[in-house]
Amino acid sequence: MARADSLAKLAWAYGIHLARRRIKRPRSQLAELLETYAPDGIRALEPAERERHPRLVTCINCGLCALAAGRMGRTRLPDLAASYMRLYARVSDASSDLAGDVPDLAAATSACPVGLPLEEVAAAVRRMSLG
Amino acid sequence: MTAAGAYDVVVIGGGVTGAGVARDLSLRGVSVLLLEKGDWGAGTTGSSSWMIHGGPRYLEFDWNTTKLSTQDAGYIVTIARNLVYRVVFLIPVLPHDRNNIERMETAMEVYDRFQPMKHAHPHRRLTAAEALQAEPGLTPDLIGAVTMEEWGVDPHRLVYANVQDAVSHGARALNHARVTELMRDGDKIIGVRYRADGAATEARARVVVNATGPWSPEVGAMAGVDVQLRPAKGIHLIYPHRISNFSISAESIDGRDLLMVAHAGFTLLGTTDDDFYGDLDSVDVQEDEVDYLIQGFERVFPSIRRYRPVRTTTGVRPTLFKWRRYEDELSRRYEILDHSTQGADGFISIAGGKLSMYRLMAEETSDAVCLKLGHEARSTTATTPLPGNESDPVPAAQLAARCGVPALAVVKLQSRHGSNAEKVLDEGGAARILCRCEPVTEAELVYAARHEQVRTLADAFRRVGVAAGPCAGAACIIRSAEVVGRELGWSATQKFDAARDFLRGSWLGRAPVLNHSGWTQEELAQGVMRGLTRN
Repeated sequence: MARADSLAKLAWAYGIHLARRRIKRPRSQLAELLETYAPDGIRALEPAERERHPRLVTCINCGLCALAAGRMGRTRLPDLAASYMRLYARVSDASSDLAGDVPDLAAATSACPVGLPLEEVAAAVRRMSLG
Repeated sequence: MTAAGAYDVVVIGGGVTGAGVARDLSLRGVSVLLLEKGDWGAGTTGSSSWMIHGGPRYLEFDWNTTKLSTQDAGYIVTIARNLVYRVVFLIPVLPHDRNNIERMETAMEVYDRFQPMKHAHPHRRLTAAEALQAEPGLTPDLIGAVTMEEWGVDPHRLVYANVQDAVSHGARALNHARVTELMRDGDKIIGVRYRADGAATEARARVVVNATGPWSPEVGAMAGVDVQLRPAKGIHLIYPHRISNFSISAESIDGRDLLMVAHAGFTLLGTTDDDFYGDLDSVDVQEDEVDYLIQGFERVFPSIRRYRPVRTTTGVRPTLFKWRRYEDELSRRYEILDHSTQGADGFISIAGGKLSMYRLMAEETSDAVCLKLGHEARSTTATTPLPGNESDPVPAAQLAARCGVPALAVVKLQSRHGSNAEKVLDEGGAARILCRCEPVTEAELVYAARHEQVRTLADAFRRVGVAAGPCAGAACIIRSAEVVGRELGWSATQKFDAARDFLRGSWLGRAPVLNHSGWTQEELAQGVMRGLTRN
């Protein structure tokens, strides 16, 4: 009985929806969507970051980049990739961790056994930390 | 056998329902003993999708379930603010999908009527181009998309917050305490016998509650009563990073709904739903289940195979028994069973249900218990905040500067402890970062070992998230064993054994995903852990 009742109500709602779509002109809702959820850290990666994203999260936290190049601001390099890049929805709350010197990221990249492009990771994390 | 304790109620099962019942009764002034054979939330609760959701799927079956679920989700979100975060789904519609975009939007329009109850926003509809702008990883074949908002939650912390609150209101709660027998006096159940710390103990009670989820039939059998379930196995793949901006739903090859849920620092992809007949204490993930999930998502998110899952989780849902129905169509409703008519007076089971409705299930179970006890106090769990939610936490950057801890570590700490984060850092002392992936401070692990019933490294994983990141413990598990061992007085051998046990246990969840580019990490871990894993 509950099932029949539920399906009937859904069918009625479907009819109303179709009628409304015929009458009302659709408008773009993307800007509203992004604005609504920006405070929750749900923000779009840029297309270039998205394309490269699978490469940017491959850190296995071996620590070799730290030996090669040290820290970015107060943040050790493996943490930048193993932690900050992963937690990008929350990274704007921790931008103070990233302020300061930029190490030799090219040296760090060349030390990475999985070929993580640390320059790109640093740029993406910096951009997202700005909110 | 040690001396018997006496309580009004013994609750068996330390998942979210059992912990919720213990909290509810304690807040009403009832004396409670809560017993869990493993660790808090280590069973079905911990292997859930980590969501407090309203259940739009139930709109096809029973709107009342959606209403109850949404309403209770609203209460949980209010009492556990630090533990929850918004999870926003993008539901792409592809050609030949079961539901076209108009039907999908209709469902969301209906669901929007319930959303305010859980403080969620209404849906949005996007064209194909807009959906790709919001989520560039989606397939370009899509027709359009609609959004839907739910809440994410750390289920381990949610369980523990309930346990913690129950204890602070007078309950006694023991993990690693296995019930071996129910005590009887004629037709009445009068208590339990259990083993904890190697010793057998008795606890007498006026009412015994069976809140053991899929283990309910087993515990029911101890009382000679029949609790009938149709257990269903579900697996998830865990990726140790966000894969997408939004969470995404997809359709599997057999038309089931799959979800890729973007949680704070990881992605959970699932789930399967299959009848389960095996050993509940040893549920394995098969490689074909992994492939089934990845295949389903590849259709909507083609780059999914380029990401490396770090582990799997698996659990068994305590679904109510129903003959003939296809697994996905089984109701997630629950039943409170008073077994007095089956010759087991004073014995109550709570069966079925889901994480999103745990508070309501606990309230109704507690109502049934109070009726038996003749206790008239009403439930207050809908409005009483869980520990850490009594006030707003200080800003993360401020606390980080004061304690010399990275702000990101404080953000994570506050997500587990809320306004108690400061106390944890102050008492735990060491501000060093112990698990760098998550990141977790040594102070938090010290605090967990002292005050949060951490007895093993797997308990530490559940309580503070140690070893939950991409290195799966390679960089932190030995140090974690040192810290926990120091607090609990372990010998060097015990610390070594604890680390080895953790690695062996976590291997079971990692092995099924290693052929999906996981070997790079595994070789490093094996190299680091050679001494521990060889023999």
